[in-house]
Amino acid sequence: MDSGKVKFFLGEVLRNFSRNTGMQVTAIGTVAITIVLLGLFLFVRAALADAGNRLLDQIEISAYLRPDATSAQAAAIGGFLAQDPRIASAQFVPKRQGLAELRARTRGAIDTELLTENPLPDKFRIKVRQPEQVDSVAATVRRLTGVDNVVYGQKIVQRLLALGGVLRRVGIGLILAFVGVASIIISNTIRLTVFARRREIAIMQLVGATNTYIRLPFICEGLLDGLIGALVALALLAGARAALWPRLLEALPWVQLRAMPVDARILAVQLIVTGVAIGVFASWISVGRYLRT
Amino acid sequence: MISLRGVSLVYPNGVRALDNVSLEIGKGDFVFLVGHSGTGKSSLLRLLYREANSTAGEIVVDGIRVDRLRRNRVPALRRHLGVVFQDFKLLTDKTVWENVAFAMQVTGAHTRDVMRQVPRVLDLVGLSHKSRMYPNELSGGEQQRAAIARALVNNPKILLCDEPTGNLDPVNTTEITALLQRINLKGTTVVVATHNQAVVDRMRRRVVRLEDGRITTDEERGYYYLGLGQGQVLSG
Repeated sequence: MDSGKVKFFLGEVLRNFSRNTGMQVTAIGTVAITIVLLGLFLFVRAALADAGNRLLDQIEISAYLRPDATSAQAAAIGGFLAQDPRIASAQFVPKRQGLAELRARTRGAIDTELLTENPLPDKFRIKVRQPEQVDSVAATVRRLTGVDNVVYGQKIVQRLLALGGVLRRVGIGLILAFVGVASIIISNTIRLTVFARRREIAIMQLVGATNTYIRLPFICEGLLDGLIGALVALALLAGARAALWPRLLEALPWVQLRAMPVDARILAVQLIVTGVAIGVFASWISVGRYLRT
Repeated sequence: MISLRGVSLVYPNGVRALDNVSLEIGKGDFVFLVGHSGTGKSSLLRLLYREANSTAGEIVVDGIRVDRLRRNRVPALRRHLGVVFQDFKLLTDKTVWENVAFAMQVTGAHTRDVMRQVPRVLDLVGLSHKSRMYPNELSGGEQQRAAIARALVNNPKILLCDEPTGNLDPVNTTEITALLQRINLKGTTVVVATHNQAVVDRMRRRVVRLEDGRITTDEERGYYYLGLGQGQVLSG
């Protein structure tokens, strides 16, 4: 390795980088905002998906049998449910157990001692493997002979699934817009550096430097913008999570949020890679445009 | 070393800078290109280092078909050429040493070679004692010598000079001319575009005269003005 060569190259990059401090700060700031938004989006999406999945996991289908259903019919239904690949578990709950559960759940608020006979029908308690399949499983079960009524949280399931889709689309739109803005600002910053160094570039071309070599310091400058922006954003995100997230967990206990719904290391790598990619892409475009003319 | 056959250059705006120019320059030659401003001297030089490309004709420089050269091969061509301009084109925020070394560093030269080669050319142009100074601290002649050192640092076989003395006073002009002659004596082919009559008349070297983009005369030992000797002045 030729250390003199490396020193010369790094010197050129640092000189570029320190030349337009104001623009550099703007570029880094825009990358930081973009990355903060992206980080927030990924974090919140993971948290909501996590909470939503838990809610959906808890959803079970209660298939109530007709009062006149025979035990043979009940056995047939049980056998059918056991074969359906979409169903994780199907448990037969006889009316006596149902009453006991009801008594336990209401903690004596309803005085079941007053009942002269058990008003509850027998039922199957069904859990599905995929939350998205709750609807179709319920429809299948409803058509079985001997099944009287099927109850599950239709509304909750549909709303959670729809909300997830909307959040994803809005989030992606917002992120794309900010990636665009950040790219434009970085490419303008680089263009200023290119302009400030146009004499050097002309001389480099004159003495036979390759376009790749001429381009490299500018790419490095864009890379630095992206990298520093991403690191600033990571610091802001980590600070915000430490300060705000515990309070949010306390304020919304029923949403069942987890303290850390994503792998912080994976998220950090994703965000840094995105920041660097924005910087490199933007500078590549702006220098390329200059070198072609 | 340099060969042009039927070369024409029409700029995109329609200006015909060169019209069917043919010229042979041998290895180690010293050639003046003379003519009024706008007669195509600079355009001809620009074709040789492929700053512009001909619209017709064939250009060969050091065995390379320059007119057919692919864009990504242009840097390789330019490493065989040194180019010097009227305005020196030095970087004001670098010292003389750094300016000269720059030409090697940006072409990926090894530091060991830079350390050996830069002092050698600075010595050749007589600027060793001012290598740590910045261009603004030098006289015009010294700046042009620094620019020549930069042009020579990659050991080119050909040195192209576009009005090298255009910004210099007579004393510095004489110095630079003598330096170009020394460089030529070491075997480098030198092509100088100029409209400095004194330089051309003192040197008595090959003179190629351009008028309106065409070569009108090509003399082995010429004067600036056709048929006039030193000391004679064209009236009117």
